[in-house]
Amino acid sequence: MPDAHFYSYDDFDRRLVAERVEQFRDQVRRRLAGELTEDQFKPLRLTNGLYLQLHAYMLRIAIPYGTLSSRQLRKLAEISRKYDRGYGHFTTRQNLQLHWIKLEQAPDAIAALAEVDMHSIQTSGNCVRNTTADHFAGAAADEIEDPRVWCEIVRQWSTLHPEFSFLPRKFKIAITGSPNDRAAVRVHDIGLRLWRNDRGEVGFEVIVGGGLGRTPMIGKTLREFLPKDEMLAYLEAALRVYNRYGRRDNLFKARIKILVHEIGVEKMREEVEAEYESMKDSALKLSPDTIEAIAQHFAPPPLRPKRTLVPEVEALKLEDRNFALWLKSNVAPHRVAGHAIVTASLKPAGAPPGDASAAQMEGVADIADAYSYSEIRVSHEQNLVLPHVAVEDLPAVYRALDKLGFAEANIGKITDIIACPGLDYCALANARSIPVAQRISNHFAALARQHDIGDLKIKISGCINACGHHHVGHIGILGVDKNGVELYQISLGGDVDFGHTALGTILGPAVPAEKVVEAVDALVTTYLEARAEGERFVDTYRRIGAQPFKDRVYATV
Amino acid sequence: MAKNLSGDLQVASANRLADGMVVFLDAAGQWTERLDRADIARNKQVADILLERARAESFTVVDPFLVAVIEDEEGRIEPLSLREKIRASGLTFAAIAAEAVRYA
Ligand code: HEM
Ligand code: SF4
Repeated sequence: MPDAHFYSYDDFDRRLVAERVEQFRDQVRRRLAGELTEDQFKPLRLTNGLYLQLHAYMLRIAIPYGTLSSRQLRKLAEISRKYDRGYGHFTTRQNLQLHWIKLEQAPDAIAALAEVDMHSIQTSGNCVRNTTADHFAGAAADEIEDPRVWCEIVRQWSTLHPEFSFLPRKFKIAITGSPNDRAAVRVHDIGLRLWRNDRGEVGFEVIVGGGLGRTPMIGKTLREFLPKDEMLAYLEAALRVYNRYGRRDNLFKARIKILVHEIGVEKMREEVEAEYESMKDSALKLSPDTIEAIAQHFAPPPLRPKRTLVPEVEALKLEDRNFALWLKSNVAPHRVAGHAIVTASLKPAGAPPGDASAAQMEGVADIADAYSYSEIRVSHEQNLVLPHVAVEDLPAVYRALDKLGFAEANIGKITDIIACPGLDYCALANARSIPVAQRISNHFAALARQHDIGDLKIKISGCINACGHHHVGHIGILGVDKNGVELYQISLGGDVDFGHTALGTILGPAVPAEKVVEAVDALVTTYLEARAEGERFVDTYRRIGAQPFKDRVYATV
Repeated sequence: MAKNLSGDLQVASANRLADGMVVFLDAAGQWTERLDRADIARNKQVADILLERARAESFTVVDPFLVAVIEDEEGRIEPLSLREKIRASGLTFAAIAAEAVRYA
């Protein structure tokens, strides 16, 4: 049964995925029988999102635009219980990673995914990856239009696109429909931002050449305003230019950000516009019917305005301080009166950030069925979101999440840490990430103090690939390896907020693992002493500069 | 702290093809999950031979390689690098258990 107001596969999608599952089953059989060597097999498993990590295979499952139905989330729980160790890791790219999949069972796991219209294709390789979106899409009070409609159009166009299956390098697109960018569009290969111009028309700002990793770059504006129906043709033009000029000789210089950096955004614009001129009236121009047909899949649930002031909520606020804090940090405004967007924190004190057990996933699915029209979102900050909750249901949702351990009132706070899997899982890591996050989380666990400290984003990566987005953390922490010892480089002042997007600046020499908590504590203390009224950590940093922070940290560690 | 009493020790390791688990080559040419059963090469020459043997036995594993280890007074071995320690003994934190959180 297809879910209401979710995009469901059509026959084409379904056939394609079913064929892929059977192909992969056969490839796995041949590999296990010794008919394929690892060199022959590796690219085949990678195109199906199956990596070999330090001590197991890992399956990366795409969650398109971060939207899940309760049925899909239950299936993910079932797969993690049946084929893995009963938990999964939600990542910063709106994917779910299962870290203990057996090769022998991987085809069954992928077949089970297909039962709920999901797959792991294009989660690896030099293709267009899962297009990410604002996790509040379709619900946020500040939204102009639902970006997922456009993500789905990109998904259909890019899935197994013959011309773009062998790009110079992987290609990541993010789309936001709100002025408050929650999709980090300036640090993607292409970021699209919907906005309304003076004439009242809605179109895209096209941003190109952002990215993190070894060479972090902030994306530059390629086109100020692109009419919506021209999106695909323009993307195709941009990808063609990249395909033609992007470097294939050097892995580290192959991303579009390097191309834009080397030739400059003006030249890039010239090239893309020239390419676009030749094809803008092609079949890629989107007809209103096409757009409408896809938009229907994202029709909002039938919410009716409700009362905003609910006595039970007000009473509980006075009674239960944690609930009051939770309302402040974990509940965001909805565009329909009397409703709210609830973020379930996957960062309870001391837990590995972004991990959820099968039972927790099922619990969230149940809550979504009861209170959020069966919808769940995955945020790039590794939390889950219930997008459509009535204000009057907030106490019940709070209690239900609390039972799961997901009601920590810490969204946007110092313990809402992003951390990559790091050396505990990842073959590329220099140092561990998760245990560092756990120690910081335990140290700052007291909620009242967290709320006093205010918004502060800590982001941790175990190596320069920057999966933990450390470059854009208010406090960024990067694991480095020095003669076999884990050290952590601290940077300050990174930001992904639109209009303020910035890369952090390294504070000084890397600190030993056992000093990271003290260093972070010294940073926080410096801020608390110096902050002016209403200033967040990053604002104070911008005002007073790095020196006071530096002095304090290196006097401490 | 364990000391390296016996020079440049190496064992051969790989990930098992069927399930990805970390395995070590024992003296009988079998792949085992137990580091304490691993065959130890005590000098460079023997290590080269060990790696050759591992490659010859690699039908059921992926990409064998050598891991530097140290041996303590009681003959217990442990990898030198943190990365290999983690490969040999697993996560350094408690992973969430499947049913850790039950709900009503
Ligand atoms: C533990 C499992 C992981 C493995 C084995 C893994 C694998 C890789 C590899 C091989 C690279 C190097 C570049 C490449 O060849 O693709 C890379 C980079 C990257 N991965 Fe991961 N990764 C893991 C976890 C994650 C997570 C959790 C995220 C975040 C959601 C992530 C997102 C990225 C990003 C953003 C980069 C850098 C790309 C850039 O240049 O911007 N990866 N990863
Ligand atoms: S940042 Fe490095 S250590 Fe962390 S998951 Fe990515 S590749 Fe692995």
